[in-house]
Amino acid sequence: MNVPLTKGAVEALCKGLDVDKPVLQLLNIRQISNASGPPRFRLMMSDGQHSLTSCLLATQLNYLSDENLLVPNCVCLLKKTVNNTLADGRRVVVVMDMDILKSAEEAGGKIGNPTPYNTDGKMSSPQKVSSSTYVPESPPSAAVPGPSYRNYFSPRGRGGSFTGQAPMKASPMKASPMKASPMKASPMKASPMKASPMKASAIKASPSKGLTVKVSPMKASPMKANSASPGSSAKVIPIASLNPYQSKWTIRARVTNKSSIRTWSNSRGEGKLFSFEIVDESGEIRITAFNKEVDKFFSLVEQGKVYYISKATLKPANKQYTTLKNDYEMTLHAHSSIVPCDDNQSIPTVHCDFVPIAELENRDKDAIIDVIGICKSAEDVSRITTKNSREVSKRALSIIDQTGKVVTVTLWGEEAENFDGSTQPVVAIKGARLSDFGGRSLSALFSSTVMVNPDIPQAFRLRAWYDREGFAINSQSLTETRSAGTGLNVNWKTLSDIKNEDMGHGEKAQYFSCVATVLYIRKENCLYQACPSADCNKKVIDQQNGLYRCEKCNREFPNFKYRLLLSANLADFGDNQWVTCFQETAEALLGHSAETLGHLRDTDEAAFDEVFQKANFTTHIFKNRVKLETYNDESRVKVTVMEVQPVDHREYSRRLLQNIYKLAR
Amino acid sequence: MASLLDASKPRINCSMLSQHIGRGVCFVGRVEKVHPTGKTFSVSDGEGKSATVELNEPLEEELSGIVEVIGMVSSKGVITSTTYNILREDKGIPFDLELYNEALKVIHDFPQYYPFEVAASG
Repeated sequence: MNVPLTKGAVEALCKGLDVDKPVLQLLNIRQISNASGPPRFRLMMSDGQHSLTSCLLATQLNYLSDENLLVPNCVCLLKKTVNNTLADGRRVVVVMDMDILKSAEEAGGKIGNPTPYNTDGKMSSPQKVSSSTYVPESPPSAAVPGPSYRNYFSPRGRGGSFTGQAPMKASPMKASPMKASPMKASPMKASPMKASPMKASAIKASPSKGLTVKVSPMKASPMKANSASPGSSAKVIPIASLNPYQSKWTIRARVTNKSSIRTWSNSRGEGKLFSFEIVDESGEIRITAFNKEVDKFFSLVEQGKVYYISKATLKPANKQYTTLKNDYEMTLHAHSSIVPCDDNQSIPTVHCDFVPIAELENRDKDAIIDVIGICKSAEDVSRITTKNSREVSKRALSIIDQTGKVVTVTLWGEEAENFDGSTQPVVAIKGARLSDFGGRSLSALFSSTVMVNPDIPQAFRLRAWYDREGFAINSQSLTETRSAGTGLNVNWKTLSDIKNEDMGHGEKAQYFSCVATVLYIRKENCLYQACPSADCNKKVIDQQNGLYRCEKCNREFPNFKYRLLLSANLADFGDNQWVTCFQETAEALLGHSAETLGHLRDTDEAAFDEVFQKANFTTHIFKNRVKLETYNDESRVKVTVMEVQPVDHREYSRRLLQNIYKLAR
Repeated sequence: MASLLDASKPRINCSMLSQHIGRGVCFVGRVEKVHPTGKTFSVSDGEGKSATVELNEPLEEELSGIVEVIGMVSSKGVITSTTYNILREDKGIPFDLELYNEALKVIHDFPQYYPFEVAASG
């Protein structure tokens, strides 16, 4: 395949004309030395006729060079370029986005015999404005775009949708000292480096609005801004080009993740904060607001919406608290401005790089990954106490994707409390942490974004797959289930399996779960009088003198506590089984505490009987331990109930359907 | 009509209506639209398809949510209702019509294991 170069593109670019996606060949690339900020690359591009030396690679494309993709002779499609005029009128073309169509090897060598496009070219086009003078062979330092004030834009017509205040106004006062400063001063240096992508984005952002943004000559722009749309000008720059050394900027970005308000209280005082993450096409950044700014902005900022944001403090990101790919983070202050933006077409929603669930086994522990899956089941929310004695809610979900593998994802806090898994939604999590807890599992962090039924193609594909075939497949979980019930790796058995499979005959006890119905519970000897001291449940001996003796504690107590030891007969369609329930499971089965039951037995026998009657013919999920035990040379399979849980009929039905389809295959 | 209540009434969804013309059926669906006359209403099944139910007497109560209709399928595929029953939400757990539809399909896919139709089919 031969890709023709776009002849005349270099000339057009030098004249500052708009060239739609020119195809050019790279003749040379070199790094411009600069002390701070990311390295910048200067490109020499050719259209076969002319070569263009004053071409810069936007920093977000530096990886192309780092990965040795951008090497001399390769043929590139410049998808987005921006013309930048320097203080002395020279032009620089900044490449914002490009594709490499042919590698250097494929291109073979230099195409045509391009000559540097120089002032002759300019002479031959007298209609060109003097400010766009092109100077060939400009030294690297000169090729660096001018200080940021130069990048002032006045996008007409933008004022209507954007009502930012003063921040974007470039004041000549501000500008001149910058210009005057020697290039050695580091903030100065950094700011010109960043200047071009900044400029670029103003243009980049505007096509979506259907505007043509003109590079205004430096002197003209503040005036124009003042006269045409006072207080409503925007210099929208990409997030990727934000840095602490510039103050006048506006970004246009979508909120991808918004935290709840968190409070702190320590020796230095107390306060509150919330943070949110925003994304534009260039990158992402985290923004934090404290105290007053929380009150001001918390209700305004909505997840998924697009805003203009300006005037906030940038500082190096604390990687401990964020997983975003940005070296900086932002803090809002009293003058910060956040203005909703109606036009959100061009702003991406969320950058997600979803890892297939089956792939998780090959990833490192503690990796931060994005994952998407159908929530097959969700546990009920539970409260746990963390190491620093804070109580949080958690909820574990089992998610499945097209790989047929299932993994458990734990949600925390509000995320856990508000989650509704009953409709088996698509759940996408950005920035979950992979852990090796129970095999492989995922945990949503405070910095994670949890999206339920997100409006993205992967979600729709997943939904279609699940509804068509996914629900019935015999999925395998990467996470070992820790509790009975809704988890997927539960060892489901029927009661007849206990005998048929000789369960519990091995060295170790076996555990299984079953859905079964209570046929009968023995009332006799179901309660005993136990030692009242904590952690001792030994049966006490009634001394008949108002004292109860515990042999284990070797003490006499004036009281005792009731404990349950139930013997119950469970049945399912195939068999029945005598099981033993201790305190907790017995209380769950009967629905009353041992203390209440003890009291009932002593006072109201009819009510006591009623409790047992009511428990008959109730159906539950039982998680059991089964072990062959030998007493007096007699071996018996003993089944002890470890957990009693209510039957989730939906989940149970789905499992039965799945089993039916499995059997039908 | 009296005999309808005695005969078996296979549970069906919309796509099975045409195979049950002239027979008694049991249809569970979500009430969509009630005709102003109160004599007909539409119900959607777990696949989102709609069917029309005709009543002999106009409705005397508000109808919404999930209903179980017992009736005959007319030649036009309309269910002429003999009786209906509103399925209330049980302890806040909504009736899962999609899941019910899955179960329906199983019943029809494996009639040998779900011989509910013995009487009707002879």
